[in-house]
Amino acid sequence: MAEATKKDMPTETAENMVTLTINGRETTVPKGTTVLQAAKELGVHIPTFCWHPKLKPVGACRMCYVEVEKMPKLQVSCALEVMDGMVVHTDSDTVKQGRKAIIEFILLNHPLDCPTCDKGGECDLQNLTFAHGVDDSRFEFQKYRFVDEGMTTTFDDRRIGPEIILNRNRCILCYKCVRANKEAFGEYDLGVYERGSIAEINAAPGEQVDNPFSGNLVEICPVGALTNSDWRYKIRVWLTSTTPSICNYTSSGINTLFFKENHHNKIYRVTSRPSDDIDDGWLPDVTRYGYQIVNSPDRLTTPLVKKEGKQVEATWEEALEIIGKRFGEIKERLGGVCVGALVSPGLDNASLHAASRLMRVGFKSNNIDFRGDYRYLPESSESPFMRLCSRPFKIADIDDSDVIVTFGSDLIREHANEYLRIRKAFNFGNARIFAVNPYQTKSADVSSLELVYLPGTEESVVNGICLAAIEDNLVDAKRGEKFKLKTPTKSSAEAAKVSGVDRESLRTVAEALAEGKKITFFTGEIITRSRQRDLIASALINLHRLFGLKGRAQMSALARYANSKGAEKLGLLPNPRTVVVDKLRGLWGEYPESPARNTDAMMALIKKEEIKGFLILGSNPVMLYPDREFVKEGIEKLDFLVVADLFETETTELADVVLPLASWAEYEGYYVNLEGRTQKAARAVKPIGQAKPGYEIASLIGEALDPEMFQNEQQIHSEVRQLLELDSVIAYPDDFLEVKADTDGSQGDYNLPLYIIDDWHHSGHLTEKAPSLANFASEPYIEIPPQLASELKIAHGDSVRVESEVGKVILPARISEHTQNNVVLVPRNFSSSNVTSLLMRKKRVDRVKISKVDE
Amino acid sequence: MFYSPVITNAAEVASHKDLHLFKYVEDPKQHEIGTYQAHGGYKAWKKVLNGMTADQVTEEVKKSGLRGRGGAGFPTGMKWGFVPKASPKPRYLCCNADESEPGTCKDRVLMERDPHGVIEGMAIAAYAIGCHLMFIYIRGEFNHCRERMEQAMNEAYQHGHLGKNIHGSGYDLEMIVHTGGGAYICGEETALLNSVEGERGMSRMRPPFPAIEGLYACPTIVNNVESLASVPHIINRGADWYGSLGTEKSKGTKIFSLSGHVKRPGNYEVEMGFNLKKLIYDPAYGNGMLEDKKLKGVIPGGASTPFLTPDMIDVGLDYESLQTVGSMLGSGAVIVFNEDACIVWVIKKLIHFFRHESCGKCTPCREGTSWLEQMINRIESGEGQPGDIEKIEDVCGNILGRTICPLGDAAVMPIQSAIKHWRDEWQYHIDQKQCMVKTNFDFK
Amino acid sequence: MILTQESIQEIKEKTAKYPRKKSGILPALTVAYRQLGYVDDEIYHEISKVIKVPYVEIAEAATFYTMFPKKSRGKYLIQVCHNISCALLGADSLISYLEDKLGIKKGETTADNLFTLISVECLGSCSTAPMMQINHDFHENLTREKVDGILETLRSEA
Ligand SMILES: Cc1cc2nc3c(=O)[nH]c(=O)nc-3n(C[C@H](O)[C@H](O)[C@H](O)COP(=O)(O)O)c2cc1C
Ligand code: SF4
Ligand code: FES
Repeated sequence: MAEATKKDMPTETAENMVTLTINGRETTVPKGTTVLQAAKELGVHIPTFCWHPKLKPVGACRMCYVEVEKMPKLQVSCALEVMDGMVVHTDSDTVKQGRKAIIEFILLNHPLDCPTCDKGGECDLQNLTFAHGVDDSRFEFQKYRFVDEGMTTTFDDRRIGPEIILNRNRCILCYKCVRANKEAFGEYDLGVYERGSIAEINAAPGEQVDNPFSGNLVEICPVGALTNSDWRYKIRVWLTSTTPSICNYTSSGINTLFFKENHHNKIYRVTSRPSDDIDDGWLPDVTRYGYQIVNSPDRLTTPLVKKEGKQVEATWEEALEIIGKRFGEIKERLGGVCVGALVSPGLDNASLHAASRLMRVGFKSNNIDFRGDYRYLPESSESPFMRLCSRPFKIADIDDSDVIVTFGSDLIREHANEYLRIRKAFNFGNARIFAVNPYQTKSADVSSLELVYLPGTEESVVNGICLAAIEDNLVDAKRGEKFKLKTPTKSSAEAAKVSGVDRESLRTVAEALAEGKKITFFTGEIITRSRQRDLIASALINLHRLFGLKGRAQMSALARYANSKGAEKLGLLPNPRTVVVDKLRGLWGEYPESPARNTDAMMALIKKEEIKGFLILGSNPVMLYPDREFVKEGIEKLDFLVVADLFETETTELADVVLPLASWAEYEGYYVNLEGRTQKAARAVKPIGQAKPGYEIASLIGEALDPEMFQNEQQIHSEVRQLLELDSVIAYPDDFLEVKADTDGSQGDYNLPLYIIDDWHHSGHLTEKAPSLANFASEPYIEIPPQLASELKIAHGDSVRVESEVGKVILPARISEHTQNNVVLVPRNFSSSNVTSLLMRKKRVDRVKISKVDE
Repeated sequence: MFYSPVITNAAEVASHKDLHLFKYVEDPKQHEIGTYQAHGGYKAWKKVLNGMTADQVTEEVKKSGLRGRGGAGFPTGMKWGFVPKASPKPRYLCCNADESEPGTCKDRVLMERDPHGVIEGMAIAAYAIGCHLMFIYIRGEFNHCRERMEQAMNEAYQHGHLGKNIHGSGYDLEMIVHTGGGAYICGEETALLNSVEGERGMSRMRPPFPAIEGLYACPTIVNNVESLASVPHIINRGADWYGSLGTEKSKGTKIFSLSGHVKRPGNYEVEMGFNLKKLIYDPAYGNGMLEDKKLKGVIPGGASTPFLTPDMIDVGLDYESLQTVGSMLGSGAVIVFNEDACIVWVIKKLIHFFRHESCGKCTPCREGTSWLEQMINRIESGEGQPGDIEKIEDVCGNILGRTICPLGDAAVMPIQSAIKHWRDEWQYHIDQKQCMVKTNFDFK
Repeated sequence: MILTQESIQEIKEKTAKYPRKKSGILPALTVAYRQLGYVDDEIYHEISKVIKVPYVEIAEAATFYTMFPKKSRGKYLIQVCHNISCALLGADSLISYLEDKLGIKKGETTADNLFTLISVECLGSCSTAPMMQINHDFHENLTREKVDGILETLRSEA
């Protein structure tokens, strides 16, 4: 488990420090530190069961006894705060006797089924029994046994969720699972029932433990009471070794550990590798189980080349020869600008950079982008939105922020661990927290106030906050006057009317922003995906200026994918920042002058047959890019398409050459998280079959085009390093920006706002292939607000026809909890949902109509 | 059957110049506000509202020497003084009416027969700590107490003793009658707070103490019914008067619940330091042993206090004197048993109770009490093994002082003392596989 | 809804005064038990909706206490205190006596569903032992004669 670090402790100032002695060694620690933490800092190990570094201590197990001079009784160190002059002994005879007694008590009713228990080898109880326990049992009675009605065996083994299996007899009632579930995750699907010696942990009666953080419960259970199907009965832990890695599904860069079997090239599980700065040791299930795609039998293992309309297996040599020839032809005939590339923001720095070099040096083309699922991408990296993106952000700063605003973000689904951070601030701090969204989200649970605005009115919300501040004299009046010059909106009342948020709420946020000393303000996918994201960003930049947030706020648009930030910094945008371009020109001695095209522009050019050759690394635009038919029709017109991916996808189907791509677990890669922090994912296993990492593929393609183009790995890394060193923050302009509220026209028949989301247990388009995640959700669905469902007589599970101006799909219904604005939600993670076929390329808010499909 | 038919010494109290808690408990109308006021009720409350500061009230109670009647005997005024003065948080008062300690049945009488006395005491305590919302936590089974308290509360609101701007003083005070759901542990103050919060009634670690961080993490004072019921009298007659009663360190009067093998079990209000032997034998109180059988032992302060043997009962009923004979005053429940009671059987009854009532939060109490119960049951049923006594003692030692709340201690202290005083009886049980005495108590 | 409108109203009134919603759990359970004589998963759900507290928290609290059984019992629930003070005055023999009279064992319910007999921990009637609680009423200083009379009255009222 994570070491408690300074981060969790009160700040160090002289009068805040306490000096005490532990086992004869003096130490000085901040007031409020527990004896257990202080001992850990000294490297003194105190055994525990119920303590967890991120949960409030409960002092239940009593394993962490210490002796403190002048205190008559043994003390539980996990809850005992240090005091000046305290003299602590952690290993005296009394302490040893006390621990031994606790182990004896715990073992009274604990089954001795270690040989068949999956926790064997990493069980706290097993380990501590060996270290501190007794050899013999003095208990001569029947162990208490939970037996389910109708069951004949005493082997309690009940599935309490899609992944989790509970054995109540093994449970030692440390309550860590229930505490973490409620306290850290805000989930209420697990509880403790009855009392005394027959108290039991169990799922909420009649419910499943299926929350998006449920895997953590298995990891923190000190014994084998909670296990999961992912790991159960597969392998003993001592036959595995670990490799440090990071999550490839989130942009936080959650630190993980791969467990692989030493002789077979196979990963068996992922656990946390706690980092207080980033993840607090919690993994969302998608991080924990998403690794399973690496082992998937569906992985592409050899190159495929199209022969007589069919893709057939080929060697790398064959494939590369074809690629070299065909790309060469296009380049020769039409010029490199007729070639484009789309790369995945999940790829590591080296792969991204190698792709960039291939395009810019090899093809002298600026047709490259990494944003395969967004419309309305800004061409310029200095657009207001990209400026917002470039702002520094520190995850750990959420902890002690006194004002937190999440704007346009279905937080848990986009930034699961940042949601947990905010929850922590909510539980332990005094922060004023606001969730500002077009529909009600789970963030409301951790918010002091939830503001639900009408879809597509973001800039009015921001203007409303600003105007409320000006009207109520919460900000500098002169600045207020200047602000007003740039905004046609007359008053906060007008903004309130447009956005549907009451003025009082706008004012409450304004007040908090005016008073806050440490503010965290970030925007999410709803903004990123909006046609008006530059407008919204401008409004936010104005807000920053008006409230004078400089120096007391971190304000950023958070990157969404594992390496979006890296892609941005490395210049994978069509028009990188000048400093980046200059640097690249310096490194390469050249930089293409050709026009730069973002994904959207490239798709349009493909359709117009102006781009004829295309390279895709790890992306699946056919599935992801809004307006599916448009993309598909275009791509079919290409002369030559190369796609490298882990799996066959809707996009590889159309390719002339398909290349097997190695996953992040299969090679050493570096990734930049949403904070701009570079982290390494080490190589845990060899690439499957003949799969190769992205940088190698880019390099080989270059070489096939022109042997001069071979990219040496060292060289790539060195260039990456130099690019990452550049200052990436783009300053805000010196004056307020023009913000004229946009109106979102379309109404008529199609009047239900549709938002594309991630399912609770999925991220992007690959996790469908992870069996454990499929256990939670494997089918697409549409979430419908309850009042709408009852109006249309739609019940849970009913088939619903969903129609937009351009497409139609049929999805089973789920009744959601959000009620406002009649918003419907569809996850994008299931290939069968076909959701992108509902989307149009030029809508601010997608709108649909729905109806029940009668059998 | 509204009244508990319990015998009290109300007549004696009424004619006594200093006893006070039970003065009107036999008056069938005392629970009505008119009668209560005619007997001088709510005078103290008005006195406080009209002329005393919170600090003065606390000082007065401190000076009186009143100590908590819920078991621990902690000085009441001092506890109130712990509430942080500067805290911006609301403060709460919880009157502990969970009365569930075997042998204890005094608070029930106060609530049923003199509920306004309890409310008045609560109100004064609330005022002293700056609380505007007070609770009384009544054990769920006490249905009649609840009805009486609710009725009295409504009357108090109607007469302006509770509510907004009470008697024009500008002071607001609301009251909630909260009932439990059947759990002895909820009498433990932190478990009680959890229970009010809607949590499982499990005890919390201290520190933080409730006075600093209690109900809803706000400063909270928990006081026993009897402690609070004493407060109006202290305000009316002064700390000096109260301090003149009792012994040097145990002041005032205390209600003792006398039960078991005595001729006249009941609740008796006496001065602190009252002689235990007298309580058992004096015709005005216990009137001697039932059927004049021989006394075997006494539990002086509720099921969790160590036993006294007949040679030890010439002792004052006060905190210090009982301590000198190795026991405790506890909640003032005096349980008397005669020589027909097998000590193993007595302990079996007690450990069953504590095992059943352990909240299960901490390991030693949860596992230890159930192990002890199994071992003790085995001995009682004649299947004890050599070494069992030592094992029991050892397990007791592993519980004592090692649990979150005192329930663990409460469970083992009587066992330890029973083994200490009657070891040969335990041994006999194991060796002979049966009781030394024939325990077979029949009801009439 | 199994809870009646009156119960729901009562729950809302009882819980309104508390500073936090969760404090409404015990009052709500109490009201529900009084209406139904049991409180089970379904009722937890209903309470959860009324007081807006997560369902699992209601289940956790309810099962901690002894007064909210999941299954309903006889019309008259006879609870005999078997703790020390009562036991010294014959609580065990009182239980046997009731067992004989009712023709059931402790823990059982009579065939006519009129009486359920259980033994419980101390009910705070130690000085008036032995005692039993029938539904909400305490019966103290029990003798055989009294018990006979009580049972007769209840039978005739039923
Ligand atoms: C297991 C246990 C049960 C308790 N039960 C009660 C009780 O029923 N009534 C009570 O007033 N105090 C009880 N107490 C004592 C309370 O924790 C607390 O000390 C008391 O209510 C404080 O009030 P006082 O200072 O007025 O005595 C109990 C303590 C423990 C450890
Ligand atoms: S299931 Fe595991 S984590 Fe949960 S209380 Fe039991 S031992 Fe602790
Ligand atoms: S770790 Fe301290 S009591 Fe469990």
